[in-house]
Amino acid sequence: MLIQLFRGKVALAFKVIVLALVTALLITLAQSAFAQEQYIISLFLVATIFLLNYTYFSNKRVPLKFFVPGVILLSAFVLTPVLYTLVMSTYTYKTGNYISKEQATQRISALALEPDENGTAFDIVVGDYRSEPALLVSDINTGSYFIATTKERIEIDSSALTIDEYEVATAAPDFEPLEAGAISGSDAAKLRFKYSDPYFIAVESLNVGVVFRQSLEYLAESDQFRSLITSDLYSDNGDGNYANLNDPSDKLEPGWRDPAWFSNYLRLFQDDRVRDPLVSVFIWTVVFASLTVLTQFAFGLFLALALNKPIRGRRLYRSILVLPYAMPSIMSILIWGGMFNTEFGAINEILGRQIAWFQDPNFARTAVILVNLWLGFPYFYLVSSGSLQAIPNELLEAAAIDGANPRQVFRKVTLPLLLQILSPLLIASFAFNFNNFNLIYLLTGGGPKNQLDGEIAGATDILISYTYQIAFGSNVQDLGLASAISVIIFVIVASISLYGVRKSKVLESFS
Amino acid sequence: MKKQILKGFAVAAALALSAGVVTPAQAANEIVVWADETRGPNIRDALATKSSWVSGYTVTVKAFANFDALKEAIDKSTATSGPDIVVGANDWVPTLAKNGKLAPLTLTASQKARFSSSQFYDLSYKKKLYGIPVDVNNVAMIYNTKLVTSAPKTFGEMVDYYKANKSSKSLKAGLCVAGGGMSWGAHSVFSALGADAYYFNADGRINKSRTFNPNVFGSNVRKFLMDGGKSNGFFPASDAGCKDNFLAGTVPFAIIGNWEWSDYKDKGFAMNLMPVPGVTASSPGKAFGSVNGAMLTSFASTRGVEAAAKSLLVDFFGSTAGQVAYQKIEKRPPAEKGAAADPSVSDGQRGFGASAAEASIPQVGAILNGPSGTSYWDSAPAFWTAVLVDGKNPVVEAKKLRAIWSANLKAAASDI
Repeated sequence: MLIQLFRGKVALAFKVIVLALVTALLITLAQSAFAQEQYIISLFLVATIFLLNYTYFSNKRVPLKFFVPGVILLSAFVLTPVLYTLVMSTYTYKTGNYISKEQATQRISALALEPDENGTAFDIVVGDYRSEPALLVSDINTGSYFIATTKERIEIDSSALTIDEYEVATAAPDFEPLEAGAISGSDAAKLRFKYSDPYFIAVESLNVGVVFRQSLEYLAESDQFRSLITSDLYSDNGDGNYANLNDPSDKLEPGWRDPAWFSNYLRLFQDDRVRDPLVSVFIWTVVFASLTVLTQFAFGLFLALALNKPIRGRRLYRSILVLPYAMPSIMSILIWGGMFNTEFGAINEILGRQIAWFQDPNFARTAVILVNLWLGFPYFYLVSSGSLQAIPNELLEAAAIDGANPRQVFRKVTLPLLLQILSPLLIASFAFNFNNFNLIYLLTGGGPKNQLDGEIAGATDILISYTYQIAFGSNVQDLGLASAISVIIFVIVASISLYGVRKSKVLESFS
Repeated sequence: MKKQILKGFAVAAALALSAGVVTPAQAANEIVVWADETRGPNIRDALATKSSWVSGYTVTVKAFANFDALKEAIDKSTATSGPDIVVGANDWVPTLAKNGKLAPLTLTASQKARFSSSQFYDLSYKKKLYGIPVDVNNVAMIYNTKLVTSAPKTFGEMVDYYKANKSSKSLKAGLCVAGGGMSWGAHSVFSALGADAYYFNADGRINKSRTFNPNVFGSNVRKFLMDGGKSNGFFPASDAGCKDNFLAGTVPFAIIGNWEWSDYKDKGFAMNLMPVPGVTASSPGKAFGSVNGAMLTSFASTRGVEAAAKSLLVDFFGSTAGQVAYQKIEKRPPAEKGAAADPSVSDGQRGFGASAAEASIPQVGAILNGPSGTSYWDSAPAFWTAVLVDGKNPVVEAKKLRAIWSANLKAAASDI
């Protein structure tokens, strides 16, 4: 009966339905990605569709059926972000250098319109004059009216026009107005109509035309912009901008994402404003992760030892001790943040002091360690409790018979055995806390940071929060630099994790 | 054979299902507006009060889960996914314009006259205007009439009241910032004590060479906010807990934001709003009177609806009728002059508007966002911490602050 569920027609029908649904979803996502010009994502989804159907509609590829979902998810959510970050770390990719060069060139051309000194604007009607796109223009300040085509400007006497109560001409001989709904997408909306050289009229909104002149022209052969006002030339400066040849600091905006190869990595070592804060942040990250693991483990073990003996109410104590672990950490962190508040917080109320927990670097670091201790000790209490049960009593009894006192038994027998069991978890905890973004971001925001003295990184910033700050924390984002730091964090954490995996020998069974 | 049929069925079913859920493309005569979770539905309702705001075009409003989600979406938007108009914060303008996501618009003289000229500073970058001011975003000082019987006239009066009643009324602070944080929200305190972020000439243009006097400002900080080299407790260096304590009656004066005035009204507080009093009665502290804007994106041009989107900006977002319809629901102070004077505007909206009219300063992102490296937003809270928490010399710290603000002013000179 059970075999029928996996091999019979029911199983086949179930497989077909599930695959149909998954394929339908992936096709939808693929075409959506394609429509949004995300071709790589679209291609990946199409490949996934073929791989899934190829794998599950065959009876010969049994091992693949187990690996394929994992491989696809690993590729999508681990490998791709890592590769993308790696690629972006080699680009000038920051505020102002966000789009492609082609898009940047188009935007610069579109922005190169300059209104005249008075900001002249007219009421207009968009339409055709003798089958040519044209504007019926009303200058209500002077009471003059004209039709502007791309080639000529034809003055028209008001007596020949239909004029509304606001003195705006609405109809003229040989002039056919466009329907409102057709204006925006019409050729007329993109054309330049004759006014007075070098100025022209462009359609601003459905019934307003503005007088502009072109301020820059693009020279495609030399890939340069030329100012039509000063004749200055703007060339690609190799760093994602067109810059004035006479004054390199004068750049046209927007710029574009430009390959910078290793310059973001070099900045980590050569640029004082990047290197100095990074060194202090790295040191604090190591100290924070080490102290966290040490305090959490020590306190968790202490409680586990205390509750390892049969005492009254042990179950209740154990339940209470697990509570901080059961509560969502985000809530706990925010509550602790409120309790550490200098003016109104409960901790200062109890101490009767005005300690600036989040304004003083040392107090802020202490608060971070204390809160993390609260969040993490139940985990180590649980794993220590379990590990203590795993230590054979015979060993402890033998040590006692050999004359060891309880302290010696703990130091020479219990602790070494515990460390042997728990060291992979300690390493994993270190790696986790190395990237403990939530705690820092929600509790201190990386601060305090004295901007007045030019500090760039906060006293409690760890590498990941510092990276976030560079990437998203201010109005000037440097995603290329942030990617370079992320790659370095990845290498560090991957190394620690690999060491942890080797230590725990979990891969032995595969070797 | 049967399996082959089933496989065929799988493919057919997949295609059939997917065909029904293809991402809809934007219609030719459709203008897409993005806004946050409160403004979005309110704009949709306001638009529904009239059959068509732009003849021949329909308007679709997409509301995001929150302001941050909207910001993230617009940051990542492309010509195929982005909106034609985004309703967002004024300080988005420099970044979005720099990244090529916004397109400029040109207003006629009569359209410009509907707004105070300073409101355009917020939405301009490199001398081009990128949006229409929709609602005023400002803070004002409120006082608790159960503690203080009349409006204070000078900063010193407030400090004297705090010192005299600190113990007897269990006051936890004298004046605190409940809305806008220790940089944006606290500008009126900087200004009241003599340090404006920037100054204006008589012609309304920013004075590119003037910055505050650190000796005067530092001395005022020492005189009013410190005792014996430490904070006297009148003005906390952090905004945490301010709102709760003001509502609980343990802080007599608070700077509150206009987006939350109904929270205070619901607790029985009258909208007795005013600027933070200055050192003298005639020099109240100027709060940032920034605006939220409806901004035109560069995607509108790509999709061929730019002219229509500009019409929507002017005829709905920038008109008296449009702003009255919208602010009746949104309940923020309208930016447009005609709408601000409309009888339907509530006392909360009017109170903030009046305070802004008395003493406000436009928020110019090109200066404040820190073009020289350190922003106003980071340096301002750092000053309060240095002086009120660390007990550093206020004149020395004020000199550092001025150096930063002055450098930003110089760096932004070509952009303003």
